[in-house]
Amino acid sequence: MHMYQLLRKAVPALALIALALPASADAQLRAIVSKNVSASSSGATLELEFSDDGTLRIALEDGDVLVDGDAVASYAPGDALEVEWRSLLGQAMTLENGALAEMLVEWSAPASIEGAEAEAGLRIDQALEEALRDTNARVSSDEGEITLSIGEQGSLVQLLVNSMGRLGVLEEALEGLDENFRVHVDEDVTIEEGTTVEGTVVVIGGTLRVEGTIEGDAVVVDGAVDVRDRGRVDGEVRIADARIVRNSGEVRGGIVDVLEQERDFESRLRDELREEIRDEVRRDLRNEIRNVARFDDDESFSIMSPIRPVIRGVGGVVEKLIMVFVLGLLGAGFLAFAGENMDAIAETARRSPGRSAMVGLAGSFLLVPVWLLGAVALVVSIIGIPVAIAWVPLFPLAAGLAALLGYVTVARNAGEWLADSGFPWTGWIRKTNPVFTLVGGLLGLSAAFLAAHVISIAPFLGFLSGLLFAVGVMITLVAAQIGFGAVLLTRAGRRREYYGSYDADAAWEAAMNVDVGEGSDTSSKDEV
Amino acid sequence: MMRKGWGAVALVAALVPGALSAQSWKTVTMSRQLEDNDEVRVFVEYGAGHFTVRSVDEGLLYRMNLRYDEDKFEPVADFSGDRLHLGVETIGSGINLKGREAGEMELELARGIPIDLDLEFGAVKADIDLGGLALTDLDLSTGASESTVDISEPNPLGMGTAKFEAGASEFTLRHLGNLNAERIEVDAGVGSITLGLDGEWQADAELNIDIGLGSLELLVPEGLGIQLRKDSFLASLDSEGLIKRGDVYESLDFEEAEHRVVVDLDAAFGSIKVVWIR
Repeated sequence: MHMYQLLRKAVPALALIALALPASADAQLRAIVSKNVSASSSGATLELEFSDDGTLRIALEDGDVLVDGDAVASYAPGDALEVEWRSLLGQAMTLENGALAEMLVEWSAPASIEGAEAEAGLRIDQALEEALRDTNARVSSDEGEITLSIGEQGSLVQLLVNSMGRLGVLEEALEGLDENFRVHVDEDVTIEEGTTVEGTVVVIGGTLRVEGTIEGDAVVVDGAVDVRDRGRVDGEVRIADARIVRNSGEVRGGIVDVLEQERDFESRLRDELREEIRDEVRRDLRNEIRNVARFDDDESFSIMSPIRPVIRGVGGVVEKLIMVFVLGLLGAGFLAFAGENMDAIAETARRSPGRSAMVGLAGSFLLVPVWLLGAVALVVSIIGIPVAIAWVPLFPLAAGLAALLGYVTVARNAGEWLADSGFPWTGWIRKTNPVFTLVGGLLGLSAAFLAAHVISIAPFLGFLSGLLFAVGVMITLVAAQIGFGAVLLTRAGRRREYYGSYDADAAWEAAMNVDVGEGSDTSSKDEV
Repeated sequence: MMRKGWGAVALVAALVPGALSAQSWKTVTMSRQLEDNDEVRVFVEYGAGHFTVRSVDEGLLYRMNLRYDEDKFEPVADFSGDRLHLGVETIGSGINLKGREAGEMELELARGIPIDLDLEFGAVKADIDLGGLALTDLDLSTGASESTVDISEPNPLGMGTAKFEAGASEFTLRHLGNLNAERIEVDAGVGSITLGLDGEWQADAELNIDIGLGSLELLVPEGLGIQLRKDSFLASLDSEGLIKRGDVYESLDFEEAEHRVVVDLDAAFGSIKVVWIR
């Protein structure tokens, strides 16, 4: 990691070089340590050796323009280009190092030269520029030293633009390496036979050819590795986005593809995504087929579309009526087996609805904690464990029964109120029959839901239907809380102080609306 | 002057590439910058032509200008470690210079860095000025040449032995005092030898001269103590200004002289002449 950090430090240095390159050619010219200028009737040659052991040989020989031995263009012997070249070399004979480099860099083929000669002149100019511009940088720190060598100026800028992306890969490739680095960017590197290089050789965007020995590691990013027969790498050859051209030499540390794990992970992720998409498509297709087969009530147009709201509305009404019927049966059971308890609860709810509601609300919130604490307390006390076994299922059951008892009791109260109300369609509710008042009350409490379902059949009344649903939910919640609270207050109807003793005369007077005598006492009906 | 001259030569060669086709002349300029050089062992060889040596003070280790027949010769400029090999080597087995134009070699060597210099040249006209070079050792060998070796400036470093070997030549040495050598050996085969003992002597020295057949002229500056020991077969001696003491000839102020040179002369045939110079 140290070297990665060091390499990151090199980026500003590269940036400085990049800035300096176009602005100041003089300051960035390579030092020429040796010069060889030769001219004969058959050709004229310039050979330079630089302080970093680099060399350049440009020759015009027998019609060929040779750059480092490679024919890059041609010329006609005796033509203007050759005359220009010889003139340049004539000046080069008298100049040394900086002045020579400056003169060579500034040289360009005259504008009067055209065609193939101009192309040859351009190639010579480029060769001089590329060889003489110093695009090497050296960055040092306590952890080591990095020598950077940039193949082309353009690649330097490109490296800076793409540096974070490439450095991201480098971070993995250089991890654990802690030696001096030679970094080559966008250039091919050959470790010649008989040559030994110490430290780590890093090649980014180029080919590393090993014919000699690297006493360290080799790292190639976005390039290729070619270890020849007599090539040897003492450490590892790490590749990232790179390929092995040949490995006929010796790599003692082995070849490590640093991105292999990442590629495996990506491949696995791709497979999983592909599988998920396939499942989803399969599921969607299956649902679609099922919906078509069942004339499902989806929103798409089908033959069932016009009657779908009617079905939905009627279904809701029927569902609600069934629920009323079930609750009515349950209430009838309560009346039959716990009528007096129910009377006490009903009276408490009637006289103290607010208090009952608050107690019911508090009781609802406390249900779960009490259940858990009770279970824990029983389990902790060893002897309570058998009770806990009963407590765990029975407590929720008892709470549910209490809630139902409270609700149907409140419903019975509501039925009695409806019987006295004189509203239309309430004549059938007779107070003398508690089952009628119970069912009437359940229907009354569910009236908002029923109305909502009926209205939902009609088009464009969705808002009103939703509003009625909300009202129904509110009524149900309030009734449930009052009923549950009353059950709690009366200890399931066993505490009767909340409604006092039964006064038959008062009940008769109230029922018949007559005065049976002055001795009647109603004070006992005051809320306790 | 020399640089300008070579520039002109180069330009001529460059601008008229086809005009030099009688012999395949090649003009070469080679140079190398001074680096962290301690002492450099320089070996220079040149077969035939005009040979000059100078000192240079432009941050260069050497600069060599050559003009040679590329069909017969090839240049050498090899620097590795502390060894510098310069010159021209023949291609194939021998050359025939008859009717041919001679080549040229101009060599400039760095001032200031210690140099162990070995010069070998054959049938040349040599004009060598070693003034300003920091020589630690000198070995000069020439064949059939017309050679002048001048040490125009004192050598800042002392050396043990400076050796000059001349074949059939007209050989002139000037300012030998500037060599700053403890011992100077001159071995001449056939020819005319002139040895100038002028220059700035730093210490007493020995001069051994061995001549086969020819004339020797010793140019002795006034004030330099000189003692001449002669071992000759048929060689005449013009010992003007010397007095004979036993088997040796001495200058009058030999004992009082600040610096003394003992000349040990072995001559077979020829003439020996001592000339006093101011």
